[in-house]
Amino acid sequence: MKRYLFAAALICAPVAAAADPSVSDIIDGHILPRFDALASTSQDLAQTAQQDCDPTSTDLRAAYGAAFDAWISASHLRFGPTEVDDRAFALAFWPDSRGATPRSLATLIADQDPIAANVETYSDVSIAARGFYALEFLLYDATLMQEGTSDYHCTLVRTVAGDIAATATAIYDDWTGGHADVLLSPGPTATYRSEEEVLQEMLRALTAGLQFTSDSRLGRPLGTFDRPRPKRAEAWRSGRSASDVKLSLESLQDLASRLAVTDPQVAEQLTREFNDALDKLEAVNDPVFASVAKPQSRLKIEVVQQAVDTIRTTVQTELGPTLGVAAGFNSLDGD
Amino acid sequence: MQAGRRQFIAGLLATGLVPKPSWADAGSPSFLSAAALVDGTYVLCGIDAALKVTFQLSLPARGHAAAAHPSRPEAVAFARRPGTYAVVIDCVTGSQTALLQVPGGRHFYGHGAFSSDGHLLFTTENDFEAGRGRIGVWDTRAGYRRIDEWDSGGVGPHDIKRLPNTETLVVANGGIDTHPDSGRTTLNIPTMRPNLTYIEAGAIVEVAEPTPPMHKNSIRHLAVNAEGQVAFGMQWQGDGAAPMLVGTHVRGQEMVLLDTPLDHLRDMRGYVGSICYADHDDTIAVTSPRGGIIQFYDARSGQLKKSRPLPDVCGAAASADGILLTSGTGALSFMTGGQQTVSRTESASWDNHLIPL
Repeated sequence: MKRYLFAAALICAPVAAAADPSVSDIIDGHILPRFDALASTSQDLAQTAQQDCDPTSTDLRAAYGAAFDAWISASHLRFGPTEVDDRAFALAFWPDSRGATPRSLATLIADQDPIAANVETYSDVSIAARGFYALEFLLYDATLMQEGTSDYHCTLVRTVAGDIAATATAIYDDWTGGHADVLLSPGPTATYRSEEEVLQEMLRALTAGLQFTSDSRLGRPLGTFDRPRPKRAEAWRSGRSASDVKLSLESLQDLASRLAVTDPQVAEQLTREFNDALDKLEAVNDPVFASVAKPQSRLKIEVVQQAVDTIRTTVQTELGPTLGVAAGFNSLDGD
Repeated sequence: MQAGRRQFIAGLLATGLVPKPSWADAGSPSFLSAAALVDGTYVLCGIDAALKVTFQLSLPARGHAAAAHPSRPEAVAFARRPGTYAVVIDCVTGSQTALLQVPGGRHFYGHGAFSSDGHLLFTTENDFEAGRGRIGVWDTRAGYRRIDEWDSGGVGPHDIKRLPNTETLVVANGGIDTHPDSGRTTLNIPTMRPNLTYIEAGAIVEVAEPTPPMHKNSIRHLAVNAEGQVAFGMQWQGDGAAPMLVGTHVRGQEMVLLDTPLDHLRDMRGYVGSICYADHDDTIAVTSPRGGIIQFYDARSGQLKKSRPLPDVCGAAASADGILLTSGTGALSFMTGGQQTVSRTESASWDNHLIPL
């Protein structure tokens, strides 16, 4: 509470030495490399699936893992090209609290739905049957990896992989084909009115990414003390849950450090807090957070979540005001 | 002392010798608001016409909105989403007189409305396994016992109001699906469909939906005028700048979305926190804590008339001669004709909503 009031007092004070992180540095050093990696690893994945669609194939699973890694590292950059035609959701329909992904896939397989034959038309299926989380069911779920004829399963794997590649490529093409310029040329009637508004968009991405990792990647398996839910962890079937938290924190740390570049004190505090969260994650030593059910090890996962929340508070109350974003009691609430 | 006073009043009531307690016995507040105090505790406050706090009652957790009983000095304070309880407070004695506990598989969204006689309370709720909005019905005469539950007509119902001189409820179905297993993560942005749903005795009598390009504009907060026109404030969930954030609706007609000049629209940062009618229904006022802005629209033409800054402003409610705005900074600002006429600052953070009495 004191923190909020303090922050509220801060925003009323004149901003000393206005911070001026570089938008072009964030585009060239953070955004473009991530979407480049996502597009190229996704194309690799699609090609590998063409060569070998057996769900247990080492090559296919490796290509899938590399592309999924690239997505996690870019998954907080939710503005512009990722939002056109709901592309980000088409790559990542998760959390799936009501099991729409396995249900949609099971229906496609049971019906031998011919829509799976073609990457171009596959974008018409339920968004829950697309993307990395759907492909995880096809490659790793004990039931769905065996369901249906092997021919249909193979077609579905190739099509989902091809659809991922098409979406990832479209995002990268939009970034290089004009959206980077949108960020670099704010103006009175442009998408962004000022460079400050561009930086505020980046700050929102950082804050939302931290919240997603806390609420969903860590919060879902934690459940409640009386009812831990290890099977709600992200991508536990492919053993990615803890690794996804690590990849997301590393990527968010990179963005945070670029945004905090002109405020050494905040930058140092954020470095310390990110390192603390990553250290605590390493100490969990459990790739799928199965240990949420045991009180001792559960505590270790809870402290990771608290460490991520600490970073988010610092971003909102310390970094935000330097970029012209009010950190008020109501403006942070969102309801 | 408080219990003694309560017993004393109860005793008098039993004898039938005194009138029932009224809002005058609670210091005649004109408004209610939840707040956070500097020590980190949470309270519900009565605020009078002179902007003085008439009472301050403890809440167990951070509040969101409250609902005031139409005749008794009694308020229901809702916890912030996704709360599972709400407390009924006797604003004369300061005691908690009932606790509303949602059934399993439900949580509150933080808003409620009374029937005109005050016998029933209606609350917006989430049936989170089904991903469907519900309206809880509580009998205030039976200690706020839950007696029924209705379909809200959509997903993610947030604000709920009763149209004046009717028992018709209007519900803002925000359209956003959430599940407590994933905190505040939104689950259905590509397919969200907000609407306004009108309900009479549990039956959905009318649904008004924005046209498809607006389907990512979550309808959250409502105000109704004396004629039953509904004004609504939205929160943009799509990419980029919001296309519009305020609308009005009259039953049987199409929704009207107010055109805000682009610069002013962007100043709101895609987010309306509260909305109210003011100036005898001539004005619609909306607040944006993210923009630190209050905007005043002509209720008839829908034109933006004025815009005023107030950092972290959110609560807004009208009285006979103006409009009170509250802020997370503690500011209470009374405006007449869009100009501040009286202001005070409390050492408290006023929470999202200000409720007129």
